[in-house]
Amino acid sequence: MLFYLTLKKNGNVSSSPLREWDKQDFGASYLSTPLPLAVIEEIKDQVQRPKPPDLWNFGKSTNLKQEIIKRLNTICGNSLVFNWEEIDPIALPHQGLLEEETKDERGVRFNQLVLARQLSNRDLRGLARELKIQEERVTELAHRNVLQGKAQWVSSVRQQGRGWQCQRCGEEDVEEWPSLYGMAATCRSCESIGVSTSMEVLYRDQRSLMESPREVNFQPHWDLTEAQRLASQQALQFIQEASEKKALLWAACGAGKTEVCFPSAAWALKQGKSVLFAAPRQDVIYDILPRLQRDFPGYPLQMLTGTSSIKFQSGGLVLATTHQVLRFWQAFDVIFMDEMDAFPYQGSKALAWGLQHALCQGGKILYLTATPSPESLNLIKRGQMRLIQLPARHHRNPLPIPVWHQARHAIEPNEDRSNDEWTLLIRALRREGPILVFVPKISWVRSWIQAFRKSFPDWLIDGSYSSDPERAPKIKRLIQGEFDLFVSTTILERGITLSEIQVVVLGADHPIFDERALVQMAGRVGRTRECPGGGVVFISKHISPAIKTAIQWIEGQNRRAMELGLLDTGQKEGSNEGF
Amino acid sequence: MKDFRGAATDIIRSLWYRDENLCVLCSEGNGPICPTCSENYLHPELARCHGCGKIIPLEKQQCQDCEAGRGPKQLDKVVAWGHYCGGLKEFIHSVKFNAHPKRIRQIIGPFAEWAVSQLPAVDGIVAVPMHATKLGERGFNQAEVIASALHWELGLPIFQGVERIESRASQVLLSRKERLHNLEGAFSVRNPEYYLGRSVWLVDDVTTTGATLQAVAEVLRGCGIQAIYGLCLAAGREKRLVPSTE
Repeated sequence: MLFYLTLKKNGNVSSSPLREWDKQDFGASYLSTPLPLAVIEEIKDQVQRPKPPDLWNFGKSTNLKQEIIKRLNTICGNSLVFNWEEIDPIALPHQGLLEEETKDERGVRFNQLVLARQLSNRDLRGLARELKIQEERVTELAHRNVLQGKAQWVSSVRQQGRGWQCQRCGEEDVEEWPSLYGMAATCRSCESIGVSTSMEVLYRDQRSLMESPREVNFQPHWDLTEAQRLASQQALQFIQEASEKKALLWAACGAGKTEVCFPSAAWALKQGKSVLFAAPRQDVIYDILPRLQRDFPGYPLQMLTGTSSIKFQSGGLVLATTHQVLRFWQAFDVIFMDEMDAFPYQGSKALAWGLQHALCQGGKILYLTATPSPESLNLIKRGQMRLIQLPARHHRNPLPIPVWHQARHAIEPNEDRSNDEWTLLIRALRREGPILVFVPKISWVRSWIQAFRKSFPDWLIDGSYSSDPERAPKIKRLIQGEFDLFVSTTILERGITLSEIQVVVLGADHPIFDERALVQMAGRVGRTRECPGGGVVFISKHISPAIKTAIQWIEGQNRRAMELGLLDTGQKEGSNEGF
Repeated sequence: MKDFRGAATDIIRSLWYRDENLCVLCSEGNGPICPTCSENYLHPELARCHGCGKIIPLEKQQCQDCEAGRGPKQLDKVVAWGHYCGGLKEFIHSVKFNAHPKRIRQIIGPFAEWAVSQLPAVDGIVAVPMHATKLGERGFNQAEVIASALHWELGLPIFQGVERIESRASQVLLSRKERLHNLEGAFSVRNPEYYLGRSVWLVDDVTTTGATLQAVAEVLRGCGIQAIYGLCLAAGREKRLVPSTE
């Protein structure tokens, strides 16, 4: 989107995406060539910066119009021709229009949907399509908010000293290319949610996401366990009064960490604070959605993922993947960030930057994880992050301890293994419940499905991976317990609860399976009250350090839970019956 | 000390990487364009159809379509640097669809040199405009990037004011006749008086039938422009010639 540079009578430089002026612009001039906002900002900066007295031309009045054109020619490398045009007072058709209050139905709807948003030009066009209004009209509505001080236009990629920075994701490593207006830059880090270049702008709405506090009808459909109650109290205390801005909820897999946040969320919403539940992956979002809907009946909930068809919703309670969070600006008072150590959030500076900037000033972030990263443990050590622990599951049974099974040969699919020793083991596991088999590579999924179908001809066997077009329906069937055995890559490693499920990790010594992935996969087992135990088997030729660490980690959590008196059973470890 | 270290790093880098100047089109031979790619895609030994820029045998002036009067009529001459296939096609796709406008800089030296050898000197450059909606999706107009790079290389000013006022179906799937028809009324000039009596290079990335160039040239003629020369990175090749390497 390009802007018109306007020079007011008093020497002020301003910009507008529309070639429409109102009565305040009487006597002003504008450049007939539209420019990227970044260029206008640079000119504004140069012209309005206090200058040292020019002794040579002392007493002569400087011609601002000539000076601006001179500076533009320097920036654009004399590529373009610029002409000043006077704003004709007679041809001011929109007198005062831009300052009026928006009253028509679609305009009002527009204003509900853009609250606290950070939208690219492409997003605005999408909004125009959704509202069935013209793109020009959306630009006009957006610019009206800017003129009224409710929003801002910001260059998507902006020059910072000698480099550039993407204003949407904070990336500084951008690609430069020649444009009509001098060097331009494109950000590659956040391009998956639309292009971000120095020629483009972001619309940043500075109003609060919560239009007005609504009645919150919080009806939890569960009783917190002792462990959850303790953690929940600590979480609420953190949200209400802690001096730290961040806290980490370190929970055992399947301890119900999401529900622990619900009372805090309910409190925040009642206070008129906006709340975000964010997670790196869609699977987790789809898992949380029904729980939020069930416990906050009737409360408007925005759900945003890369594949959701409705991109614009309103309401102060938002459930979104971390990429979608880049479309908010200082919008949330409280953020619950689930699975902070999962791909793609883990290690993505862009998403971490986005999450920080989606937080209101003075807002709080609670990170939830079962497998904290060394960096976050460091922050806790240095006192910059509060630690809240949740070491036991709600059913007061210990976590099943994984068993390592040494394979005689390297794990490879496509062999005849009807008499193999671990085929018997899998058959034994099936007596306890359906089996989830994790493999380290996508290419293994299909071949292992074939191999298992051969070994267990009377079983219903299937599998999936991230780019599988049938993924969603298959997972639905899996949750309904239709399969005897399901082969998967790490897509199902986290956030999913399957009743009676047993877990097998094939090639557990593969480098892709670090201790955190192994803990997560083992954490799929024994999550329900009805079936609190189950088997976890890691099969590989060698034992890796990750396997050892993962087993130690789970044992440690059981010990901690035992010490706090959060376990019922006299047994020390999870049930490994069947072996 | 800092400067010294910076200079030292630069020298070491240049020893290791910078001199490793590989061909832009195949990443194998010596760059910016290796002799093999030049032979395969740029065909300096062949002529260009004056009407539409297509690559034709050296002894000819025009391609069959233009001889039969089916080519663009408003341009004084059209030239295309290379044949739209193989490495050159991949390069243009990488610029356009993988959003790598910065790659234009890798070829602009040889492209500008070639353009100067083929076309007369002009007052300025006009880039084929892109509709605002598409610009919003892609983030840049590749024709504008080529024009800007030519400006940086040759110092020719860029003329603005031609606008794409209506977004039309992409030309890719249309026939020759449909292409010409599809673009009627798609362009307009904001500042017609500016073009009176001037001469320009009209720049685009790819030309096939020349319909887009023709449509822009038509509105420029309406402004009383004196001369229009089409300049593209790539074009098709006369069909008769095809039983060659491809």
